[in-house]
Amino acid sequence: MPSDLELIFQGSNLGRLLGGLWVSVWIALVSMGASVVLGLPFGVVMTSKNRLVKLLCRCYLEFVRIMPQLVLLFLVFFDLTKVAGLNLSGEFAAVVVFTIWGTAEMGDLVRGSITSIPRHQFETARALGMSPAQVQRHVILPLAVRQLLPQTVNLTTRMIKTTSLVVLIGVVEVLKVAQQIIDANRFQYPSAALWIYGVVFFLYFIVCFPISWLSRRLEARWQIS
Amino acid sequence: MDWSVISSSIPVYGEAALLTLRIGVIGIIASALVGLLCAAVQSFRIPVLRQIVAVYIELSRNTPLLVQLFFLYFGLPKVGVVWPSEVCAIVGLTFLGGSYMAEAFRSGLDSVHPIQLQSALALGMSTPTAFRHVLAPQAFAIAAPALTANVIFLIKETSVVSVVALPDLVYVAKEQIGTDYDTSEALLLLVAFYLLLLLPISLGANWLERKVRSNAFGS
Amino acid sequence: MQRRTFLTALGAFATATTLAACGGSTQSGSSGASSAVGLRTVDEIKSAGTIIIGVFSDKSPFGYVDSSGDYAGYDIEYGNRIAQDLGVEVKYVPVEAASRVEFLQTGKVDLILANFTVTPERAEKVDFANPYMKVSLGVVAKQDLAITKVEDLADKKVIVVKGTTAETYFEDNHPEVKLQKYDQYTEATNALADGRGDAWATDNTEALAWAPNNPGFTVGITSLGAVDTIAGAVRKGNTTLLEWLNEELVELGNEQFFHAAYDKTLRLVYGDAVPADELVVEGGVVA
Repeated sequence: MPSDLELIFQGSNLGRLLGGLWVSVWIALVSMGASVVLGLPFGVVMTSKNRLVKLLCRCYLEFVRIMPQLVLLFLVFFDLTKVAGLNLSGEFAAVVVFTIWGTAEMGDLVRGSITSIPRHQFETARALGMSPAQVQRHVILPLAVRQLLPQTVNLTTRMIKTTSLVVLIGVVEVLKVAQQIIDANRFQYPSAALWIYGVVFFLYFIVCFPISWLSRRLEARWQIS
Repeated sequence: MDWSVISSSIPVYGEAALLTLRIGVIGIIASALVGLLCAAVQSFRIPVLRQIVAVYIELSRNTPLLVQLFFLYFGLPKVGVVWPSEVCAIVGLTFLGGSYMAEAFRSGLDSVHPIQLQSALALGMSTPTAFRHVLAPQAFAIAAPALTANVIFLIKETSVVSVVALPDLVYVAKEQIGTDYDTSEALLLLVAFYLLLLLPISLGANWLERKVRSNAFGS
Repeated sequence: MQRRTFLTALGAFATATTLAACGGSTQSGSSGASSAVGLRTVDEIKSAGTIIIGVFSDKSPFGYVDSSGDYAGYDIEYGNRIAQDLGVEVKYVPVEAASRVEFLQTGKVDLILANFTVTPERAEKVDFANPYMKVSLGVVAKQDLAITKVEDLADKKVIVVKGTTAETYFEDNHPEVKLQKYDQYTEATNALADGRGDAWATDNTEALAWAPNNPGFTVGITSLGAVDTIAGAVRKGNTTLLEWLNEELVELGNEQFFHAAYDKTLRLVYGDAVPADELVVEGGVVA
């Protein structure tokens, strides 16, 4: 049995797996960064009282959230080329797709945490003589951010895990590397699949766990203060 | 766009949608139960169980469903346990969803200030009454967007079940693209069926969220 | 105070990642923006100095990635030779069954060499060059099922690997057979060994190589249906490349290139259970 595990250390297999992991993480983190930047204002806009604005935001959110990422990948990578002549690299197309999706999810989380702040917080702050903008900046946002953090982290790890789809547009990430290794050796190591997948399981874990752990720490610290 | 291809493919997609829905609904209900249980264990700080739940949550949400399913489907037979594809899919989805639901419930429970419970108790409410009328509504209102997102996320995650040879919507669409090359038709059908499945859930959850929220906060 | 630290951190993170994203975009812009939307003629490929070929990266021994990270296999031998004779570099792009045609139609690859089975429906979407391989299907089944002809499969669960000739064959000719489809060969063989399916339909070379090592299984059918051909595919209307490929095939036939490629890649894993001539097509003409 251990002879199947030794496959990991053959040639540059381990390096390739780590390289694949880096591709997954890179795409997810860049997309997540962009999603936070775009999602924060989007979430604030979503709380608008204007019906038309609300409706438009809602449509974007529902559509993007429901749409399978597979479809978005096809649209951005292939159809943009066909229709608009825009030829994005696989990695960039993946970032665009995950940002479109992440912005919608992030916006909804921001909206959720803003509207879940009890009304009396607004009213108390206003009564203390703060302007509406000051209320947003000094009362609502800090309260919202506390609730937002664990959910944002959830979204980040979800995104890292969803990146395995990008193989469809020719981007090779960790899961594809694993499948390549398993397949290339299926005659000499017929039961290597479980071992290699075990390593992949572990690799995802060591990337996602620290992120989850960090958020828990921050959350705990804020609760005491 | 070839409409005859679309109309002749509808039955196949309908069948796939039913499979997606079946796995999704059972998986989500089971996830919610597992999630509630885990959140309760954590909230009430039950010893030993609490540590087990913590390990489960970390393993579940920090690894991809695809790999989890792979072990259920190809790993378990090595120790003599062969579950059918659908069982693997539902167990896998529950294993993943349980931790997401637990997190949502927990963040809801935690964000209700302890002072609320203390005040309720001081007003003479019993603990269950305080939980039911003070804690739970606020916790649910806060957790609602995350819960909605989880439901949709979990149904969309079912697209991974093709690894255990289950013909869900994404599998069917990929097949149509891969063998017949009706790419635009397949993508259109895929989106249409996902909208059909998920839009009612999303709108319904949205409505429920507003209702709960106005009950909790009166706004 | 703590809030401010968080917001500052958030800002820094956002700026860093946005910068990284922009970096990514400029890289991609410079790499392949030229005329990727249209098809590239032979002269354009020559002057660009690189041919882009879509291949499978997880279907050994036809197209796979070896342990040093290089592409290898029967399809790759052919691809390397094409690049050499065009006098250009070769860049391989990993494709999936579901993305093969899209890569061609958007000009993101010039040529597909990914175990592409020629069918009339596909010929409407892409232009096939003359074949470089032919495939007979075989069916591996549990010994006790005594499967010897395709009719025996009627009420059986038949395993196939997506994107292979076996899948196309059953979809087109025997829609009544219930297929269980997997992405990977190892998934298919594991599923068969675990009793999840009754039989496995695949290239007969694969079947004949696998069954002897797995007690309880036998190749019940060694040749199924008509012989299918595997060919390179170019984008519809790319006549210069198509003609060049067909002329090249004739020249390669004179030196028995594909027999050499067979010895170098396929014989190593399939052994001599199937003679090379059952598989190899020389000169683009099926004998």
